[in-house]
Amino acid sequence: MILTGSEIVNQYRRRRILIDPFDELAVNPNSYNFRLGDKLKVYDSFPVDPKIPSSCREIEIPSSGYVLDAHRLYLGHTLERLGSPHYAPTFAARSSVARLGLFINLSASLGDIGFFGQWTLQLYAVQPIRLYPGMCIGQMMWWQPCGEICLYNGKYQGSTGPASTKIHHDFLQPEEAVPETRSVDVEVAV
Amino acid sequence: MILTGPEIAEQVRCGRIVIDPFHSERIEPNSYGFSLSPHVMVYEDRVLDARRAPAQRSIELSEDGFVLEPRVLYLGSTVERLGSLHYAATLYACRSVSTMGMWIHYSAPLGHMGAIIPWTLEMQTTHPVVVYPNMLIGKIAFWATAGPSDRYSGRYRDSQTTVGSRLADDDFGGRGAQ
Repeated sequence: MILTGSEIVNQYRRRRILIDPFDELAVNPNSYNFRLGDKLKVYDSFPVDPKIPSSCREIEIPSSGYVLDAHRLYLGHTLERLGSPHYAPTFAARSSVARLGLFINLSASLGDIGFFGQWTLQLYAVQPIRLYPGMCIGQMMWWQPCGEICLYNGKYQGSTGPASTKIHHDFLQPEEAVPETRSVDVEVAV
Repeated sequence: MILTGPEIAEQVRCGRIVIDPFHSERIEPNSYGFSLSPHVMVYEDRVLDARRAPAQRSIELSEDGFVLEPRVLYLGSTVERLGSLHYAATLYACRSVSTMGMWIHYSAPLGHMGAIIPWTLEMQTTHPVVVYPNMLIGKIAFWATAGPSDRYSGRYRDSQTTVGSRLADDDFGGRGAQ
């Protein structure tokens, strides 16, 4: 079952859903509108190879906006930190954003119970589009789970800003894997 | 309701979800991570025709990696047979793959109850991306259902590997099969 907007507010007040900063005006009938943060990242070395740490360049979006080229991947991020240790999240573009030909994820709309942080968006425009920092760009939904809960403790926990892929960690031999420093913010709310 | 990772593992143990092969370390908080089979396919027709089966060419992914070029549709497949007679499924790219610039399906995430197959993936990239056979590429979520149980009996039910579109089998005068 998907949570209604009123239930998202209720769960937010009980600290079972975390949204920071929270604005009641951003609540929709079944979702919460999140905003675009002011940093973008683009890969600058191709092909992108999952076995090799990727090389990226960062772009700051000025208040006057920044034009995304068509057919190019920009990693963006949510201004808010969002997550829940109790509900499974999915996210989608706002329909007004999709109608301008912008993807905000590439077939990866499902998040994890227990992730908390700024979400990385995969921005891909079908035609050039100017985006502004702080604009409402997408919506987060939460779903009631069934079964014992095991919280996310993966390599993107506590993300800030656009996070480029860390997929090369998947290819490390166990002895090469470096333990990561992870945020424990989410535990406060469990 | 979406099944949690521990519940997916439990349903696999009691045979109500099939994941073959199954590795418990691939259990995520609310999904299971699947991997990319080495069998990939591309269409050779420049213009596809909804009423005609397209010519297709097979590609075997090498252990050294294979570069997917942007603006080309590659059909891939999961290594695993995945599905359930009891739960509906949805498929997603994993976050690491999506942030690399890759789709694994085109707005078609839903898997029907009763389809227990290696799932065909629609792969496209935003720039050149290297893929390796057996790499972790996506995740499958399972959903409890409401209502009497119906089972998928469509044309892809016996899939063993990557399968191209069989839309041309549709009766174009009728409603269209699954």
